[in-house]
Amino acid sequence: MNTELSRRAWLQRTGIGTAALAALLPTTVHAAETVSHFPARAKRVISLFQSGAPSQLDLFDWKPGLANRRGEELPESIRRGQRLTGMTATQTSFPVAPTKYQFAQHGESGAWISELLPHTAKVADKLSFIKTLHTEAINHDPAVTFFQTGAQLAGRPSLGAWLAYGLGSENRDLPTFVVMISQGSGNPNDQPLYDRLWGSGFLPSRYQGVKFRSVGEPVLYLSNPPGIDGIARRRFLDDLAKLNQMKLADAGDPEIATRIAQYEMAFRMQSSVPELTDLSSESSHTFEMYGPDASKPGTFAANCLLARRLVERGVRCVQLFHRGWDQHTKLPTQIVGQCRDTDQPAAALIRDLEQRGLLEDTLVFWGGEFGRTVYCQGTLTANDYGRDHHPRCFTAWMAGGGIKPGQSIGVTDDYSYNIAERPVHVHDFQATILHCLGIDHTRLTFRSQGRDFRLTDVHGDVVTELVT
Amino acid sequence: MRSLLTGFLTVAWTAGFLSAAEPSLAHIDFNRDIRPILSDACFQCHGPDENKRQANLRLDTKDGAFTDLNGHAAIIPGDVTKSTLLQRIVSDDPDEQMPPAKSGKQLTADQKQKLRQWIAEGAPWTGHWSFIAPKRSAIPPVTKQEDVAQPIDAFLLSRLEQAEITPNSPTDRATWLRRVTFDLTGLPPSLDELDLFLTDEHPAAFERVVDRLLASPRYGERMAVRWLDAARYADTSGYQSDGERFMWRWRDWVIDAYNQNMPFDQFTIEQLAGDLLPNPTLEQRIATGFHRNHRGNSEGGIVPEEYAAEYVVDRVETTYTVWMGLTMGCARCHSHKFDPLTQREFYQSFAFFNNVPEFGRALKYGNSPPYIAAPTSDQQRALTQLEDRLSAGQRTWKQLAPGIEQAIVAWEGTLDPKTAPAWSFTQDRLWTDPFDATPEEARIRFVASGKIESAARFDGQNFVEVGNVGAFGFLDKFSLAAWIQPQGDRGGTILSRMTDVEHGDGYALVLDNGRLQLNLIKRWLDDALRVETIATIPANEWHHIAVTYDGSRLASGIRFYLDGQLVPHRANLDLLNQTFASKEPLRIGGGNGPQGRFHGLIDEVAIYGSVLTSDEAATVATPETVREIVSIPRDRRTAGQQRKLRAAFLELGAADDIKAAQTQVEELTKQVEIFRETLPTVMVMEEMPTPRATHLLLRGEYDKPGERVTAGLPACLPSMPDDVPKDRLALARWLTDPRHPLTARVAVNRLWQMVFGTGLVKTVDDFGSQGEAASHPELLDWLAVEFAQPANGDGAWDTKRMLRLMLTSAAYRRSSHITPELLRRDPENRLLARGPRVRLSAEMVRDQALFASGLLVEKLGGPSVKPYQPAGLWKELADTDYVQDHGEKLYRRSLYTFWKRTIPPPTMLSFDAAGRETCVVRESRTNTPLQALILMNDVTYVEGARLLAERARRESSLALSDRLTHAFRLVLSRPPRSEELAVLTAGWQAQRTRFEHDPEAVRQLLSQGESPRVTDVRDADRAVDTAIMGLLLNLDEAITKE
Repeated sequence: MNTELSRRAWLQRTGIGTAALAALLPTTVHAAETVSHFPARAKRVISLFQSGAPSQLDLFDWKPGLANRRGEELPESIRRGQRLTGMTATQTSFPVAPTKYQFAQHGESGAWISELLPHTAKVADKLSFIKTLHTEAINHDPAVTFFQTGAQLAGRPSLGAWLAYGLGSENRDLPTFVVMISQGSGNPNDQPLYDRLWGSGFLPSRYQGVKFRSVGEPVLYLSNPPGIDGIARRRFLDDLAKLNQMKLADAGDPEIATRIAQYEMAFRMQSSVPELTDLSSESSHTFEMYGPDASKPGTFAANCLLARRLVERGVRCVQLFHRGWDQHTKLPTQIVGQCRDTDQPAAALIRDLEQRGLLEDTLVFWGGEFGRTVYCQGTLTANDYGRDHHPRCFTAWMAGGGIKPGQSIGVTDDYSYNIAERPVHVHDFQATILHCLGIDHTRLTFRSQGRDFRLTDVHGDVVTELVT
Repeated sequence: MRSLLTGFLTVAWTAGFLSAAEPSLAHIDFNRDIRPILSDACFQCHGPDENKRQANLRLDTKDGAFTDLNGHAAIIPGDVTKSTLLQRIVSDDPDEQMPPAKSGKQLTADQKQKLRQWIAEGAPWTGHWSFIAPKRSAIPPVTKQEDVAQPIDAFLLSRLEQAEITPNSPTDRATWLRRVTFDLTGLPPSLDELDLFLTDEHPAAFERVVDRLLASPRYGERMAVRWLDAARYADTSGYQSDGERFMWRWRDWVIDAYNQNMPFDQFTIEQLAGDLLPNPTLEQRIATGFHRNHRGNSEGGIVPEEYAAEYVVDRVETTYTVWMGLTMGCARCHSHKFDPLTQREFYQSFAFFNNVPEFGRALKYGNSPPYIAAPTSDQQRALTQLEDRLSAGQRTWKQLAPGIEQAIVAWEGTLDPKTAPAWSFTQDRLWTDPFDATPEEARIRFVASGKIESAARFDGQNFVEVGNVGAFGFLDKFSLAAWIQPQGDRGGTILSRMTDVEHGDGYALVLDNGRLQLNLIKRWLDDALRVETIATIPANEWHHIAVTYDGSRLASGIRFYLDGQLVPHRANLDLLNQTFASKEPLRIGGGNGPQGRFHGLIDEVAIYGSVLTSDEAATVATPETVREIVSIPRDRRTAGQQRKLRAAFLELGAADDIKAAQTQVEELTKQVEIFRETLPTVMVMEEMPTPRATHLLLRGEYDKPGERVTAGLPACLPSMPDDVPKDRLALARWLTDPRHPLTARVAVNRLWQMVFGTGLVKTVDDFGSQGEAASHPELLDWLAVEFAQPANGDGAWDTKRMLRLMLTSAAYRRSSHITPELLRRDPENRLLARGPRVRLSAEMVRDQALFASGLLVEKLGGPSVKPYQPAGLWKELADTDYVQDHGEKLYRRSLYTFWKRTIPPPTMLSFDAAGRETCVVRESRTNTPLQALILMNDVTYVEGARLLAERARRESSLALSDRLTHAFRLVLSRPPRSEELAVLTAGWQAQRTRFEHDPEAVRQLLSQGESPRVTDVRDADRAVDTAIMGLLLNLDEAITKE
């Protein structure tokens, strides 16, 4: 079979553009041209994932009526016997715990934002809020896995892997999909993360996210071993290429040509990644904008700055994971730390992207795997409360390429417990992300075990009022 | 290119390949040519799933496709114009056209033509090929009979001759030897093996190599790797905090089974149902660990029923994938879209695996029940020896026993009741407070008249804070004992070590509504254990209470004693998952907050660091002193008094031989107990006496039970005999019935994939209608029949025999050289005109580097090991430390590497190892820059290069070309050609000029890895050697089987 022919056959099946295929073949990387079911508003994505699940009640979903109901039992008309986690299901009382923080409206859009997020408040008009995101899982592992892969159980490709598969790379020297982790200072040693969240599932492993690390080497195994410098490595690669070329001539296997190219890509990464992670060329103004943490490697702030540098260089998908939002108890103490970690850098990222003209074609979103309960977990005291997991409604925001800014989608009930208007399922959210990138979520498929799989399974509707 | 596209070409293959290889189709074969088109384009709306079926038209069955629907029929055999199927697919009208545009499916002109031709030829219909039992295919005639080494070759050649492709000539001996050695042992050949084979002129030299390799214990290790992928084997539980579990005894069972060449039917039966065999052996029970390898969720707050259902689903999906190549998981929420598998049938299969006495929430650390102790054979021997010694000791003791009663009487006679010794049971007693004479003012205030002298009085407000005593966690054994006299019915906390609030973390012995209650709490309700006696304790009188806990984390590991007698209890909560160790002080009469304090008297509190036996419990519950007992007439002594007196005698009055015998029995008993606790355990399958009711789950959701179902099988497959109980054993026997249409085909197809790089059915995990048809269906069937029902009658299910057939074939011996013509005609090498050329697996890449450098430590089995891994990988995601091993454990074969599911070893994952979260049987190979970075920079390979350089120096002359040639042969099993040697030599010289001026670089490079350093780290030549040896380990050829 002619390989061109087979390639066409595949393209025809999946509706993927030729250049995306070229991106799979690094020997022939061209300037990016991507899968395109319709015009893409965004070329790149930055996900600011808040792992552990931030409380919508204390940050965005203001419920003024709750102040007067403090300590009252959550009415059965609201709770409706819906399932709870095993941590509070057998609690004898479900006292309403109103937020202890002040809310105000911000910007022309009049977005309600808590005093915990003063910097986010200043960019409110750039953002659009979804108040009625909802999910199916009530525990972290399945819920985070669901948010990142569209399925609760392990084995499906992550969002970034789908994008790498569908859109290919715009950069010859950096990975297509980069992941960065930061620890929350509000709740250290919080929920763990898992490699599968940026894994490739049944897609070829080349699409898995590459983790950029703040300790040790920025990318695993990037640095030459002690004693081997750049000159020695170059000579090594030249000799290796000569020997592999001889083998190619002898064996005729095109895979050898690919391998030679991959070694060159590895060599380029050895210089492009350190250049990327070296922040010394950033201005003091930039550091001020991102806040004091920005010069500390491994913080959310530093990762936000790196995210900007990555998208500047055409990296397709950048995902930040910030841990520490799982606030079952002592929420007021913990959430302050978490907001201090994330508020200023996230807002700075939006402004920075805008100043550089990148926001218009970079999609940015912020959110966790579920929300938190209005009722108190544990004992409600004058200054303290905790909140359990709440999958029925939570808030996320989106901004940048493809998103109509300044909107608030959906309304929750007076307790932020159930959705009153316009539910947005996580699959809808995922469909919307793909839409912004010019991808019809029903058509980006991969066949595994006889079935054409999608990120959104067999569900998902684009939130049309959110997109441009 | 080829492997880059692997996976995308499922459909292109059928069409594209055939058009290239067979430009004109002689005739249409329904299963090869038509069913795949119907399945992919039509079944989604006109298939088995009745809920989604459109227009009442069903195209996956003959009846459905040919049936008359209001004067129309989709297919009218022979009538191309009247068959509406054809009308619709060729229509240009968007309203008419099938498949509809919105389906995203489109038929090619070629596919339409095939459908037309098929209908014109009378639309012959047959059932899906893989559901029809294979028949022994006739071996096809071929022109070049001399090229047939095995019947396999005839099938392959006949196809090549049809396609007019000339196969490659045989490869050279060295390449073949490297190929076959990797395939059977996962390692390259040694130089001795190579030299021997190159000069072996015996006519059966090739066969002898295969036999030698099949007999090597490395064979079992190599075969096990892929089985572990299928079985989703790992060393952690896989969800959230992903704690460690211990399944390596099962892994070693697999290695052993392969090495013993256990027949595949037995291999199947023991893993699926070893526990249900009559009088199962330990090994047969260990084998059932197969279906406990799935992930287990221990996250706080989960709904256990949800995950209990997931575990069973995983077993169903895995069983169908591994043994039948069917995607049964698709029928979990609705009937299968493509294959005749209904949702009801899914839950009938579910019922086979739904009777395990398991709990949906797994334990966070260690194995979750049911599990068994699984001693290795060495341990079994040691245990037997120990137990033999114990029995001998017990025999001695028994011989002495008759004399003991008399001796006690004699001893009593020597005692003066007034001065008889004070004795109490003190073994393992960590702390006691008799609440007798005490100088402390605060305490004296509470003293009341006690059971023995004075006691402490508690009024629901006061309590005694003892301090750091009784610091127990969830894995500790301990016993708590006291005399209590409850006042009224208010009860309260008798003793505790806990945060002093209601339901606080820690442990507490409580009297609640008259019932004695033990609470072990990490987090109240979802991480806690609460057990209580069924009987109540009468108020206002003295009773002795004792509770023992055996460190098992389970309610079943707790015993209550009332007045020295074991009393029954019940578990109110049995969900302990993490330790309840508390930093709070021990409190008597306090705990559970101000409302939880004790009302009544407490006396003689004692805490023991072991589990009291019932004898011991009776002894400590006996208040009378030895002196008092002695003065009671013998026939009026209670059992407890008798026990206490006897215990005192044995300690104080017994003759030396009695004491010695007793000490020996006690010590050996303890040794046996300790030894048993160090034994590895393994999770196993067990069957509940009463099967759990299984319901169809609506939309697959655990909390939406529908119709109740019982164990059964899909109607499209053969049925089970009526007269057997429908259990796992029956299922396993049914699977391994030689007439089963799938089992043997699926198994030999996986062997084919392992040997030739791609299965005869490329979709090794899908033999359904969406799967790819076999490239050589007759060959697949011949192999399947040969496997399950061999011609000569013996050797059924003999895996080694099947491998021997494949590996001694002419096809396997062919050169893997690819010409542009071959690449164009058959890019994926499905016709096998050439030998396989595929990248080595993740495990082989690493194992080869260890082997060639002489670092590999070969030792079969044992606990998993933690070799090099970049620092901090676990820490940054999960706050746990990866404690890297040292010494030999750094150099074990990769299948022994500790596999943490949420953060797997990164080098393995980068080389496409399966993630071990779910069953994976398909081999995958990519080619990425991360692989290049690993081979260049991971200490494993840098150290490997250093040791390879050392080895070359040691084993060859010191001449550079000799060293290079020797190392080259160690890695590639062939000497370098002159132009290759020239590149290496020039590279060596170039690196030399650099290293000779950089002693620090020399030192650094020669210090990589933990294996012993060379004598002189200043030797620039050695550093240069190391750099060049690294080159060898990075060669494409080095990491390729060719």
